[in-house]
Amino acid sequence: MIWRFGLFDSTFAPLLHTHWALLAALGLPLLLGTLAALFPPKRAWPVVLASVPVLASGLVLLSAYDQAGLLRWQWEIADIHLSLRLNGLSVLLLLMTQVIGVAAALYTPGYLRLSETGPLARWLWPLMGVVLSALSLIWLATDLLTLYAGLELMGLAAVGMLMLSGKVPALVAGMRYLLLALVGSLTYLLGVALILGHWGRLDLQGLAEVIEPGPVAWFAAALIGAGLALKAALFPLHAWLTPVHENAWTPVSSLHAALVIKASLFMLLQLWSILLPDTFYAPRVIAWLGMLAIVWGGLLAWRTDSLKTLVASSTVAQLGYLMVAFPLLLGPDIAPLPRALAWEGFWLQLMGHAFAKAAMFMAAGNLILATGESTLKGLAGTSRRLPLSLLVFGIASITLMGLPPSAGFTAKWMLLQAMIITQQWWAVAALLIGTLLTAAYVFRMFRYSFDETAPRHRYQPLAPGMDLIALTLALIAFALGLLAHFPLELMHGGSP
Amino acid sequence: MIASFDAIEVLLALFLTASALVCLFDRHLVRACCSFVAFAIAMTLAWWQLGAPWLVVAELLLGVVLTGLCFFYALGRFLPGTSSRLKRDTFSEPWSRSAIRLLLALAWFVMVGAAIRYVIVDMAFSPSEHPLLLAGVLIAACALGAFALHRHLLRRLLAFNLLGSGVFMLLAGVAGTSAAAQALISVGLLVAWLGSMLGALLIRQLLHLEGVEALGPDGEPREGVT
Repeated sequence: MIWRFGLFDSTFAPLLHTHWALLAALGLPLLLGTLAALFPPKRAWPVVLASVPVLASGLVLLSAYDQAGLLRWQWEIADIHLSLRLNGLSVLLLLMTQVIGVAAALYTPGYLRLSETGPLARWLWPLMGVVLSALSLIWLATDLLTLYAGLELMGLAAVGMLMLSGKVPALVAGMRYLLLALVGSLTYLLGVALILGHWGRLDLQGLAEVIEPGPVAWFAAALIGAGLALKAALFPLHAWLTPVHENAWTPVSSLHAALVIKASLFMLLQLWSILLPDTFYAPRVIAWLGMLAIVWGGLLAWRTDSLKTLVASSTVAQLGYLMVAFPLLLGPDIAPLPRALAWEGFWLQLMGHAFAKAAMFMAAGNLILATGESTLKGLAGTSRRLPLSLLVFGIASITLMGLPPSAGFTAKWMLLQAMIITQQWWAVAALLIGTLLTAAYVFRMFRYSFDETAPRHRYQPLAPGMDLIALTLALIAFALGLLAHFPLELMHGGSP
Repeated sequence: MIASFDAIEVLLALFLTASALVCLFDRHLVRACCSFVAFAIAMTLAWWQLGAPWLVVAELLLGVVLTGLCFFYALGRFLPGTSSRLKRDTFSEPWSRSAIRLLLALAWFVMVGAAIRYVIVDMAFSPSEHPLLLAGVLIAACALGAFALHRHLLRRLLAFNLLGSGVFMLLAGVAGTSAAAQALISVGLLVAWLGSMLGALLIRQLLHLEGVEALGPDGEPREGVT
């Protein structure tokens, strides 16, 4: 597991232009966000111009990884080791972050123009920049101090974004999220303190060599796990997620559901694979909770009346699929084949869900903006007037349901294969029930939208491109299943 | 054992605990915030005592000045002429809720105590020689209980800050005051300040819009009685 996260020495040193690309990938979102706060863009074209260098930096890093394999950066400032690494997985996640971030930024000017957003709208840009920079840092960082700083920056900026709409329910949900996230961060910090006190170092590569199983590792893993699970909205700790999304702006919801909660999950898997490489029970507890999450999230989404709650509850269920894969990734005596399958399925599911969920939130936001209603019943008649938004919703739900040939299908196929090889029939059952429930809530939503008995006369026209951006994201999620060999090859590469 | 305690450290630990208790359980909000500032100043001295010069600077700047300002802004005392100042927490709790929170705090206290006693044998500052560590454990437990108990948003924010200070003290006890530990705690202080700032802004905004002062049991807003 350790080498899969790229925690080993690199063969080549990064070239000069790779340094610049790294700097651009980490710093540009922040810089551009600050610029946009000073001169808020009214149209999409300045955002297009600004996103070119960001995407270019990601592509340069990709080609650098292609040529040289794993790359590492290390600094030592006043006895503190800071280190970054670039392996196939982090390149993939970085590119995913940049694409979804750019899509959300392109969506924003039209959204802000059409909806009544109030005077705080310009602050969305710098906060978005902070979130994207911090996410990029989290995918690359390999020491606990940088990871902590990145996680907290991201979390606080996310809270800031969620409360921008200024309505009372949004503020109340934001306050609750803030208090929980802060307590979660203290729990994480206590776990890090145990590690630092016992093993005296914070770099993951060194820790992977010295950590031996024992009560200290278990305590630290439990504390870190609790803190990160709270931030990732893993099943019993998910209650804050729905109210937060219910009242947030559409691009904010997209970014949050697609990327922010995934960062905590990424850190959880990475740190547990160092702290608990051979524990039997901890990953199984996560898997059992994941099964409950699949069922509970599906039921919540099925019974709800509000469109945004449906999309947010489906996130809880989809995170369950990732939790169910934990015993295939961590634990003693896992054969190499199911472990490799589960590893690929896990990340493919994570990426497919990120793209699909971002697209789905945008489609839902478009429907709500156009009809002016946020309930499922308010969707009556949209099939004729807003076919494109519904199409995006449909393509995104194909990925979430796991129908071929989407990323969701390929990912679930791999996970199922791994589960059947290791004979985890409960997990197989949970996966199948989850698919049925997803189909149930998606078709329920479509039933309302094809209802033509309530004629409506006035629809708010959408800005050009708002549907196209969502469609692009949904198609990427779809294409990730067809062209899965590209990301999978990247994840394979870099084995020593 | 007691004789090996440093007299200054004992005094500091007692003062820290006392001011933390006043801050957590005084319903008069201005007094609670003032005792928070006193607590933060005592924390600065405690870091000095433990030999962590960077943390003295960080605590003084972030903990005392900036976080203190956040709380007085949330109270409405920062800008003269602000309407709707916060004065007292008037929410009362049923005793069953208080009892459960007390048990929670006790469980935390016992768990951390057991962990320190049996699991982490090689602490940098042993609690049998440094009463500041004992104070840190006690403060963290009280603050956790208070965080779970209170409904008033400002008091929860205060409780979070004290919980943070207790955890930082524990961190320093476990990991010593090496450069890495000081960096971790400094980042933690920065996060606590940014979080308090966001929280103070939210409290003012909620009060301004609706007169909401607290979160109900299911996260519903509750209006103040005053």
